[in-house]
Amino acid sequence: MKLTIDQRWDLIDKIAKQTVTFGEYRHTLKDAIGELTIKPFTGIPIAIAVMYAFWSIFSSFAGTLFTDGFMVKLFDGHFLPWMQDIFPGAGGWLYYIIVGDPLANNSFEALGVLTSGFFVAIGVVLPAIFIFYLMLALLEDMGYMPRLAVLIDTVLHRIGLHGYAIVPTILSLGCNVPGVAATRILETKKQRFIMMTLLAIFIPCGAQIGIMEEVIPDTMGWVLLYLITGYFIFGYILNKIVPGKSPEFLIDVPPYRKPMISNLSKKVWGRIVGFFKVALPFVLLGCGIVNVLYLVGFIDWVGNVFSPVFVLWFGVPEATAGPLIAAFLRKDLAVAQLSVIEMTPYQMISAVVLVSIYFPCVATFAMMIKEGVKEMLGALAVLFVVVFLYGGLIHLIGILLGVA
Amino acid sequence: MNVLLMGHPNVGKSVFFNRLTGANVTESNYPGTTVDFTKGWMKIDGEDAELVDVPGTFSLDPKDKAEEVAVAMLHENKDAKVICVIDASKIERGVYLALEILEEGYPMVIALNMWDAAVDKNILIDINNLQRILGVPVVSTVAISGEGIKELTLKLKEAKPIKIEDIVKNAGGLT
Repeated sequence: MKLTIDQRWDLIDKIAKQTVTFGEYRHTLKDAIGELTIKPFTGIPIAIAVMYAFWSIFSSFAGTLFTDGFMVKLFDGHFLPWMQDIFPGAGGWLYYIIVGDPLANNSFEALGVLTSGFFVAIGVVLPAIFIFYLMLALLEDMGYMPRLAVLIDTVLHRIGLHGYAIVPTILSLGCNVPGVAATRILETKKQRFIMMTLLAIFIPCGAQIGIMEEVIPDTMGWVLLYLITGYFIFGYILNKIVPGKSPEFLIDVPPYRKPMISNLSKKVWGRIVGFFKVALPFVLLGCGIVNVLYLVGFIDWVGNVFSPVFVLWFGVPEATAGPLIAAFLRKDLAVAQLSVIEMTPYQMISAVVLVSIYFPCVATFAMMIKEGVKEMLGALAVLFVVVFLYGGLIHLIGILLGVA
Repeated sequence: MNVLLMGHPNVGKSVFFNRLTGANVTESNYPGTTVDFTKGWMKIDGEDAELVDVPGTFSLDPKDKAEEVAVAMLHENKDAKVICVIDASKIERGVYLALEILEEGYPMVIALNMWDAAVDKNILIDINNLQRILGVPVVSTVAISGEGIKELTLKLKEAKPIKIEDIVKNAGGLT
């Protein structure tokens, strides 16, 4: 026998009356903190403080302490000179691919697979993802995320999403791959499409943020500003043109809980293992492929052919062709490669924004195909339009400001 | 044997899964961490059983893609037993999902999880009476610290299909 919805509730009512007794409920400290973090008047300042703390711990731990304080010294002072010294055939093609520039005195500029590749992966990205995921796991396990979702709900409705879209967005700040998977919690096709497209285009991953923090610490604020602005502008436009519904947002806000060390370490450990299995090989592979493409003249050729697009439309040097090709494999690698190209600070901002918004990295791409080929193609179509328009717009802003 | 872990989002299904199989599924304190199913193996009385961590769903009438996965999992495993995980302090709506699954004829064990939080909130549940009315084994659990997990697996073999008519009768009839 099947019950109707009303019969089911009727039955539940009877069962509950016979089995559950509610005692007096006392308001606890946990409830008080819970309310403070969810009411806009106190919640928004707390949210800003939490984000700021997140950011400053991230940059001081990953950037200042680990990368500058330890890894740079290790790689530039010992590993790079040692590799340059020990590897045979300086000036030959194999040397160029593996070690890179024999005269380089820092690990960014050498560009070899085992010099820059290792440095970018181990020296910069590894500490960045470690601290990012540790803090993210803390916020997740405490139960702060749903509260953030409630606070930001109104804003995200403007772009056809609702507060819960903050979850895929924040996950994407770590890595776009789980971010794309998390779009499944959104109710309609329209929301999932908008979310996936915005993630793939505008959200830089943790590895990329870590490397920006290292190579363009002074201007990365502008890059992030351009990306966030783009996220909202194009979200607004997509909401207007994509057919479908954007339903209201209902969520259970769970109580705050004490994070368990075992669960935290398990999550972070999983990420570190993933890094060694997926990210590290891709960084080295990307480095190698780009070096080979340089050697055979392919990148110069692409640079030449698309020179008008690069120089006139986007306002960046044609040498950015190389990093843009690398960006398909790893965005962090691409930003590292950009950093050694001669250009003005504003060109650097434009180039890094372009690397971010242009094609998602291959892992994200694979995940998007898994979520639906039609959606992926749609997202790509949007992506091409956005790269072209937004890239041009950023150039135009630079011209108007007189800095391009 | 096939066992499905089902329940609302954020009631601790993934914690159960990790406890029961020794696997490493991500657990978070927000709804929607599991958007795809994960399988693992557990032992029940020395016998291997396949356990599936199903995404959280509020009902068998799916509202998003993760819930669609959940309902599809249930319907693809007609001979499965279900561990229905219910938040002990929100028992009514948990029982709603349990009833829906029971109506489809699945044998079930109910875990009243986060029992400690319910006790903190002064919510008292008469487990014996609940067990009598529903006719399925009911166990209080605190998955995060492992309380009640052992008992839950032991009760799994007592699970058998239930007639809804019997539940209605035990509850004293419909209005």
